[in-house]
Amino acid sequence: MSGELQRLADAVGIQLEWRRQDEAYVRCSENAFQKTTSRLAARATLSDLFATNTPESPARLTAVLQAQGDPAWLLVTVELAEMAFASLTPDVHAASWYEREILEMHGLEPLGHPAPGPLRLHDWPNEHHPMRDQGDAVAELPQARRQARRPSVTGQGVFQLPLGPVRSGPQESAEFLFSSGGEDIVELDLRLGFKYRALERLAEGQTLAQALHLSERLAGTSAFANGLAFTLAAERALGVNISSASGHARSLLAELERLHSHFGTIGRLADTTGLLVAAAQYGLLKEEVLRACGRLTGHRYLRGVLRVGGMEVLPDAPARVWLQSRLKEWGARAERLRRLLEQTATFIDRLDTTAILHPDYALEHHLVGPVGRASKIDRDVRRDHPYAAYQTVDFDVPMVGDGDAEARFQIYAAELTQSFSILGQLLDNWPAADDGRVVIPRHAGSSLGWAESPGGETLHWLELDHDCRVVRWRARPASVVNWHPYAHACGSGNNLTDYPVIEASFSLSPAEFDR
Amino acid sequence: MSRWIAKGLRSGVHTTRFPSAAATATAEEGAPSTVQVRWQGLTPAVALAASSLCPTAALSTSGAELAGELRFDAGACVLCGRCTREFPSAFTAVSDPRVAVQSRDHLRATFRWNEEKELAPVALQAEVAALERATSQLFRHSLHIRHVDAGSCNGCESELQMLSSPYVDLHRLGLFFTPTPRHADALLVTGVVTTNMKEALLDTYAAMPSPKLVIAAGACAISCGSFQGSPMSKGPLDQLLPVDAYIPGCPPTPQALLHGLLLAVGRARERYRAGEEELDGA
Repeated sequence: MSGELQRLADAVGIQLEWRRQDEAYVRCSENAFQKTTSRLAARATLSDLFATNTPESPARLTAVLQAQGDPAWLLVTVELAEMAFASLTPDVHAASWYEREILEMHGLEPLGHPAPGPLRLHDWPNEHHPMRDQGDAVAELPQARRQARRPSVTGQGVFQLPLGPVRSGPQESAEFLFSSGGEDIVELDLRLGFKYRALERLAEGQTLAQALHLSERLAGTSAFANGLAFTLAAERALGVNISSASGHARSLLAELERLHSHFGTIGRLADTTGLLVAAAQYGLLKEEVLRACGRLTGHRYLRGVLRVGGMEVLPDAPARVWLQSRLKEWGARAERLRRLLEQTATFIDRLDTTAILHPDYALEHHLVGPVGRASKIDRDVRRDHPYAAYQTVDFDVPMVGDGDAEARFQIYAAELTQSFSILGQLLDNWPAADDGRVVIPRHAGSSLGWAESPGGETLHWLELDHDCRVVRWRARPASVVNWHPYAHACGSGNNLTDYPVIEASFSLSPAEFDR
Repeated sequence: MSRWIAKGLRSGVHTTRFPSAAATATAEEGAPSTVQVRWQGLTPAVALAASSLCPTAALSTSGAELAGELRFDAGACVLCGRCTREFPSAFTAVSDPRVAVQSRDHLRATFRWNEEKELAPVALQAEVAALERATSQLFRHSLHIRHVDAGSCNGCESELQMLSSPYVDLHRLGLFFTPTPRHADALLVTGVVTTNMKEALLDTYAAMPSPKLVIAAGACAISCGSFQGSPMSKGPLDQLLPVDAYIPGCPPTPQALLHGLLLAVGRARERYRAGEEELDGA
């Protein structure tokens, strides 16, 4: 247990309370929380910050941290006596959007936050807080009234170009307000939250099976990863171990999800650069992976496959043999397409130096996933906090480029190669089946769960009561983190015509953010 | 660039023969489109057990083992697979993608049992008149679709994007997505209608010229699906707009979406009816 976290705790002068081998807690007083967390976050990564309603005090805040090279998580908690707390944002920029969410959802004010505006509730009167309001107050939330937004950039020749929330093609709803002098994007004013479905609120009081089904519907193209993080949190909270066959199946399906998601992303990138044949080729690959998922599990997006304590469906031997041959073919085709794309000047020219996300900036935002890795943030929970069967396979976490759209493309392509390798290893070393149903104990508990979704690190926190019903479910998918620096990346010397390329290269989901 | 042209030509034609050879295309997508109740295999005990497994309002019961009823709503089914796995004799997965219907009632069925535990379907009060709408005939040859995401999970959008992939290729059937509501003949809506999207959705509908069609795609748009009871859900869609076609699924597969679009313009017929054996006639 004498890992990086312990050294960090010693340096900051705090006592860790190990509740599990890889989950340490620190209970802070209200005075100490801001200072302690800021000092920790200066040398570790702030992965989440959220509030929980508690019966005794107005609320509890929890900060989730991790240190490079240590498989353990650190959770710093504080019980608030008032409806306010000292903001971390002046010291830890990554805390900014978490605190804004806490303010709009719970009504807890981050004192000293430089810009505590709402992220999801738009122009609603600010006495409504969906995570705190009781009974009818929630049901009777006022309609969102779209008010004209005042441009923050003014000057001769500067005009505003609105895009969304209804987009041009079959895309997700989000609003982008560009300020431009003609061609260049001077500033992007981003508005999300159009798809806010109040998932976390809805899950309160639900059974594990119901809440699991909800977590799988948090987002479509990362449905399995979100379900997996939820399942892991539940299993850890209840102290349930799963069979190695189940673990293998989970890793297998998680990688298949990465395949279809990344094929979709690269296909969209090709589409936005006018390479219709390339887009069609990636479309073929994506559809074939989706069909394979359907054939293996009965659902193209792998929903309804997970169960707390194991899997509802395990791929049988003939299916695995069939998959192996398909993987070989897909891998070869993906490799050829990647080489062709790299040799296509019109493609690379559009991506090169487009929407640069400087590594320093990425570091400040504690980014995750391919977007973070393209800006030199070396994080991947499959390697850093192994789960399912990732301990049994060898793989690299690709780190290339310096933060532009081309770097992100290279990361997606390199991750595909790694996924094919992981899938091959899993299928070669499939454990003997044991279908003994695990008995799920019924008691209270809480834990963190995680998974590396196609978009990056996905964290779920789950608190259960004695009847195994959800007291608090906090979902922090990858997009919650990675939307944060998005507007900045768009504004750094890009043109309006670059915008579709930028959007495709980030591959962010409004549904994942809004929840 | 020439290498891409060569690549495209070399890979040949992959497009499905759906809908013209629907039967052979049925199993292509590898996943079921919805669920059907086989009431002959249903007992009161199974009905009660299955409805307790169901995560949405697709299966709900009232009463008890002695006298009660099971209400089935395929429009709320999110294909979690729990009922079909546990009780295969009473609930079966439908692999035919032609499951879209024109009336919300066609996705609903009720089964009632008495004190003797004798179970039988309850007939619909009145057969909904065949929806041969004059408007739908106008768009037989070409249809321009405006899609609005009113609060989905991105699953439906992912499948809508697959409509343009070579496997489905909706353009071959004269179907097109259009960026502007002014050019649109049909409004295709996905997702529960959230508080934040309601206004944008109604504005989009108002901006479309008449006559116009509205299509609800996916369990969320049809019945709020998994998000029933969410304080942010203002749907289902048919309480806000007149809906011409319902496409069940979570998400509906590309071929199911295609069938729904063709059904809305009168180029396909209804095949699915909740609680009934397959309808015949193509």
